[in-house]
Parts: sequence; structure tokens; C-alpha cells
Amino acid sequence: MNTGTRKGPGLLKSTSILLLSALLLSACSGKLESGNGGKEAAAGNDPKPNAAVDESPLGKYDPPIEVSFVRDLGDVVENNVLGVLKDETIDNNRWTQLYEDQLGIKIKYNWIVKGSQTSDQYLQKINVTLASGDLPDVTPVNATQLKQLADSDQIEDMTALYEKYASPFTKKVLSGEGTSVFDAATFDGKLMAIPSLESSIERSMYIWIRTDWLEKLGMQPPKTMADVLAISEAFADKDPDGNGKKDTYGLGITKDLWGGAMGLEGFMAGYNAYPNIWLDDGTGKLVYGSIQPEVKKALQVLQDMAKKGQLDQEFGVKDGGKVSELISAGKIGMEYGEQWNSIWPLQLNRDNDPKAQWQAFPIVSESGDTPKVPLKFSTTRFFAVKKGAAHPEAVIKLFNLHLEKNWGETAEFDKYFAPPEAESVWQLSPVTPYPVTKNVDAFREIDAARKAGDFSTLKGEAKTIQEKLESYASGSTEGFALWGWERIYGEQGSMGIADQYIKNDQFIQEKFVGAPTPTMVERKTTLEKQQNEMFVKIILGDPIDKFDQFVKDWKKLGGDQITQEVNEWYAATKK
Amino acid sequence: MRAKLRKELPLHLMLLPGLVMIILFSYVPMAGVMIAFQKFIPAKGLFGDQKWVGLDNFEYVMNLPSFTQVLWNTLFISSLKLILGLIIPLVFAILLNELASNVIKRSVQTAIYLPYFLSWVVLGGILIDILSPSGGIVNEFLGWFGVSKIFFLGDNDWFPFTLIASDVWKNFGYGTIVYLAAITGIDPGLYEAATIDGANRWHKTWHITIPGIRMVIVLLSVLSLGQLLNAGFDQVFNLYSPQVYESGDILDTFVYRIGLLDAQYGVATAVGFFKSIISLTLISSSYFLAYRFAKYRIF
Repeated sequence: MNTGTRKGPGLLKSTSILLLSALLLSACSGKLESGNGGKEAAAGNDPKPNAAVDESPLGKYDPPIEVSFVRDLGDVVENNVLGVLKDETIDNNRWTQLYEDQLGIKIKYNWIVKGSQTSDQYLQKINVTLASGDLPDVTPVNATQLKQLADSDQIEDMTALYEKYASPFTKKVLSGEGTSVFDAATFDGKLMAIPSLESSIERSMYIWIRTDWLEKLGMQPPKTMADVLAISEAFADKDPDGNGKKDTYGLGITKDLWGGAMGLEGFMAGYNAYPNIWLDDGTGKLVYGSIQPEVKKALQVLQDMAKKGQLDQEFGVKDGGKVSELISAGKIGMEYGEQWNSIWPLQLNRDNDPKAQWQAFPIVSESGDTPKVPLKFSTTRFFAVKKGAAHPEAVIKLFNLHLEKNWGETAEFDKYFAPPEAESVWQLSPVTPYPVTKNVDAFREIDAARKAGDFSTLKGEAKTIQEKLESYASGSTEGFALWGWERIYGEQGSMGIADQYIKNDQFIQEKFVGAPTPTMVERKTTLEKQQNEMFVKIILGDPIDKFDQFVKDWKKLGGDQITQEVNEWYAATKK
Repeated sequence: MRAKLRKELPLHLMLLPGLVMIILFSYVPMAGVMIAFQKFIPAKGLFGDQKWVGLDNFEYVMNLPSFTQVLWNTLFISSLKLILGLIIPLVFAILLNELASNVIKRSVQTAIYLPYFLSWVVLGGILIDILSPSGGIVNEFLGWFGVSKIFFLGDNDWFPFTLIASDVWKNFGYGTIVYLAAITGIDPGLYEAATIDGANRWHKTWHITIPGIRMVIVLLSVLSLGQLLNAGFDQVFNLYSPQVYESGDILDTFVYRIGLLDAQYGVATAVGFFKSIISLTLISSSYFLAYRFAKYRIF
């Protein structure tokens, strides 16, 4: 004990010295950190910063340069592309070779993570990369991350570079939806990233109905919401599968409520309700679709359907995969979804029961007028270039060549986009822009050829698809799995309806397309979660007046603040 | 004085590596606590031009609908782990001590100690396989008795108990050895005397063994109190899925998701800080209790 007390002060002293030096150390490291970004960036990755730049959109770097990326590697690429094409790897494949041969750009991946861009592993890795400041030359980021990068002055201003290096075709494709995608990537008037335009039209909703059940029950495709409800009732009560049991449901929905398959967007649109998107209320103000009274009405209808046993009482715990099991077992005869639903999940039903037949129909409204089809703004990916990168324009050249090789004059669609042996070869490219109307364009070409009775004029994407349709029509075993394609591009296909939607100008576009506002970054996920929980509860029988409570809570928990921010953005961009 | 210092210097130096470690990994990161009061943008650096937001992050966390659930899960899982983690090794050590054969005793001891050395990454994979409702050995076994399949890792009613049971299974070998060591320290003379007085095994256990290791029991239980908010990140992280967030999400996994996946560093730090404050209170009081009941103290 004695030595202990005498040792005390010594221990204390040495501890405090160490503590002090540690504090100093940490202060220094902080400074180093903030200074680091600029120095490292200036060095760049290119050994010869003065490599000759051919300024034409598809001009070649000589000597070649290296551009670093990071990327995700999905199951499809791993199994259906790299698994099939034995002599290609993610680092060395037809796309990387094309970029190197034609542009003199070597693609290098700083890291590759298995999974999708929204998987936990990828998000974790990219967030750590962004936080550490150790960026590759080109980083694919989402809107929130882009805003953070722009705010912290880590990325290049692309405004002038885009003007100069983007090919006319790239400019045409990327402005396929007007200026909105560029607005989303513009801060203080500067374009801070190249948007990877996603087609909003592809978010169009259709009603997918089992037509063999319709015929059996002697019913017609719906013209109004009343018809939809009647079909739902008949599918649930009149034993459409003829097994003598009341074990079928009218409408398939999932616990997540929204989305490209078994979602409710199209159903709600029938009542002029447009949840989850920001709309102009007609006075130049933006309002949030989810809290409008029309949604309450649509929820009331869904609640009645659930009470009458037309909805699966367990839908609240079933995700898309689980509900698709019901569909494939032939228990559900109607669902709202996007144009590709015939490939998944409906093909599963067809596989089990070759007599099952589904068809897409245009969504309908309560009044019988032509309804508006809600389109959520769907571009969520932006390519940001590290500040001080040796060749910030390189990514634009990659965009140019990717578009050129798939849909341009020198296109080799069945080599670079979807060769028969590996349909998703295009995903090997680090950038994957595409014309937003490519699917409907292909449909139009095929349809014109069908009417003219001459398919020899088809080329590129349309030709590849037509081959699938022919394979299906031939009745061969391989063709059987292509039923889903026939339901999209065939005469009764969903794409025909898309074509009709476009011609009727039926779309109602989301009006807020900016980067997430500060409060959105913090609160949006929580608010969405609360909304969906409440909606599920209401559909399953909670008093409908809980909707009013939800609206009140939504406003209080950040919704009002978000609305204000969104409107400030709207007022500023409308000018 | 100087001579004394020279004599003690090597001892001080031996302290150094440990101190450096603690300072580097425990004290220096404390500066990061300020992130909890900022709208933190990592690219600007820890000492960069961050926006201060006061207690906003804390307020936000308290308003999160899932926060109370997460706190409850943490406490529930952790306290059951604590209680079972104390009782089961104790019972096991006493039973093992009664075994006459040293060979069996040693082998059992080694066998139950084994899982302690496996990491949760490895054990997680094994558990996912053997608990699977489709072909997992546990469900196959239960099937023989007509029990319908249980999705241990995907069912909110079962998940917390699966966590607790697997944690106890992994760690009770370690606890058993601590208790066994304590039992060995009891004077054999006491047992001999008791035998002469006509005590049976039960009497001896109750009146000699348990009182003999009382201090160790009290000490271990009191010290583990400080860990109450650590429900085991490694374990939960390797076993959970979105399906069981409702019953299995704990503070640490919650912080991980908010921080690393949603990149809301401010909010994540606020939760972590909140946890640290409570843990500090718990540890302080447990040291006080340890002193009170077991005369254990550091300084």
C-alpha cells in the first residue's frame, strides 16, 4: 500500500504527459487530414498529366490514361455474365478493351463490392470511402452523397466540360427528360456530376390481370375503378381456379405497399391520389402526395377490400418474394405493376400452370376519365469526378462511347449490350447510360414491322427482342421461358400501353427533382416508415380517421419543414 | 529519490505500451464526441468548419419510433444474457466439481470451453446452417418429436431467445473455468471436517462450496453490470436480418446502420454518446457495489 501511494504522483504525471501529447497529436492529424485532399488530388493517377487530349467527343488519349472507379458487382453480372463468358473478367472484358482501344482510357477499380448499389456492404464501403476523402477519379454517388461532396468542395465543376466533350447524341439522350436530371446535379449554378439518367417512363403503372380467369367468369377488362373492384370481388368469391375452395385473392399487395411489382401507386392513381411524390397544387406550390385527402379515400376502399377477404390478411408481413409465391401458386389474379411484371413474378405462375394467362391493361380512374399516370423521379445515380483529377472529362467520353456502341451509328448491340449468350453484358461497363424511351422505341419498331409483315428491317435492340418473340412463338422449350417478353413487346404487350400513355400525354411527373433538402436527409426515411406502418394498419382495419392523425404527425415530425424547403427550391428553380 | 526512480523506471516503462494503447484507442477517439452536436460532413475533417446544431441530434433520436424498441431490446437481451451467463456456469462448475474422474472432468471442461475461441463470424455461419427451418439439424431433430418447424433466426418471437441461448452456449465454458478455479482454492480440510461431521454432498455444496466462492460470484456479477448496454454487436450483427429488427436490433447495430449505412454520422454519434453516458454510470455504480460487497477496488 505504501509504495502505491508514493507511486501515485509519478503515475499521474506520466499519464498527463501522455494525454497531452496525444491531444497534440490528434490536433495535428486533424490538420493533416484537411490538407490532404488537395495535395493528393493534384497528384492524380496519371503518370503523365500532359497526355495529349483529343478534344473530340470520341477522341483517343495517346498515350493512354488510367481512370479509377469503384463499383458494385451484382449477382447477374457475376453469374449470368462473367460466369458464362469464361475469358472475360471484371477488370478485363469487352467494355474495358473497347474503352482502351478506342478512347485510350484504362479502367481501374479501386475496389469492387459484391451486391447491389443499395446493399449494406456497398453503402458501407462507399460511405467510408467518401468519409476518408480517398476518392477514386470517378465516384458513382446518390443524391445525398453528391450534395455532401459538393458542399465540401471535393469534386470538379463539370459545367464547361460537359458542354465541350459530350457528343450531340449523349446530350440528346441525357436530356431525354428535360433539364430535371441536370437540376438534380446542379449546385449554385454549377453542374457537379454527370447524371446517370434513369427512365421515369419506365415507372409507368399497369394493371396486370389473369385473363384466363376473366374469361372463365365472363368478365370484361376494367374501364373504371368500379370494374376493378368488381373483378377483385369476383376473383376472391367466385372460385376462379375452380377448386371449390375460397382460397383466392382479388388484388396482390406487399407489406412495402409501393414499388414496381404488386405496388399500390397505380391503384391510388385511380382515385387521383399520388402518394410519395411532390406535386404542384396548381397555385405554384408543391405539396406532398401522401398527405392529400384523396389518399384517405383510396385507403378506405382498400380497407373494405380487406374486410371482404379480397386481400391477403397476412400481406403486412409479406414482401415481394413472399407475395410472388402466392401468385405463382395461382392464388392471386390481379396486381398493379410496371411493364416487366410478366418476366417477374408472373412468369412463375405460368411455369407452374401453363394455362395461366396474364395481360397488362392501362390503369383506370374512378370517374372513367383518362387517369393520370404518376411518374416518380427515378434518377438516383450521379458520376462525380474528384477535384484535381488529371482528366475530369474522361467520364464524359465513356458516356459518349457507351451510347454510341449500343444505339448510335456504329452500334453493335448484340456484342456490347445484350449478346444472346449473356444478356447483361452492358453491365460490365462502369457507366451505363441509355435512351429513356429505348424500350418503347423498340416496341414501335417491332410493331411497325409486324404491321408491315417484314421483320428484316429491324436492327439493334429491336432485332434482339424480335428474336425472343419468335423463339416464344415457335413453341420450343427454350421459348417457353420467353412468355414474359411476349407479354411486353407482343401485340397485347405492356409496351403498347406505354406507347398509348405517351401519345395521350397521360403522365403526371414528380415536380421535386433537386438534391435532398437538409431536413429530408435527416427525416425522410423515418417519415416514410411511419407512413407505411400507418397505411398498412388502416388497410388491415384501423379506424380510417387515423389518417388524419398521420397527417398531423407527418407535419410535426419534419414534414412541414421539408415542404418549406422543397418550395424554396421550387421557387428558385422555376425562374 | 533518484536511486528509487532508477529502480522503478523499468516498471513504469512496462506500463507504457498499455497506456499508449488506451490513449490511442480509448481517449483520442473521445474528441469525436463533438460530432454528436454537429451536422457533420466528414470531408471537412474532424476540426473543420462543421455546423453546430446543439442537441438536435439527440432530440431526433428520441423521436425516432424505433429508438425505444431498440433500447428495450438491448436491455432485455443483455440482462437475460447476464443472468443466465452467471447462473449456468456456476451450476455447471459445481456439478463438474462433484465428478470423481479427473479425465472426464478435464475433457468436459475442454469441450465446453471450445466455442469460446470461435468468433461470431464463424459461429454465425454455423448457427444459420444448423438452425435453418429447411434442413437444419435442429429442426430435423425437433421434427422427430412432431414439433413443427421453427425459424429461430427469422421469427421475432424466437430471435431474442436464440441470441441469448447461443451466447450462453458460447461463453459458459469460460465462466465455468473461473468458478472451478475458485472452487479449487477452497481449503480441502473444510470438506474433510464436514465429512467427519456427517455432511452429505448437498450439505457440503451448500455450506462450503458456495460460501467459499461467494466473493467471486458477487464480483463477476457486479462487474458485468457495467456491460448492461453491450448486448453483443458481433453476435447480433452476424445473425440478424431486417425481418427481426423489431426484436433483435440493439443499440450497437442501430448505431452501425445509422452511421455507416445511412451516413448520418451526427445522429449515430449521439446514440453512441448516449449509450456511453449510461454505461459510465453503470460502471461507476458497479465498482462501488464491487467495493461494498466484495472489497474489490482498483485504486
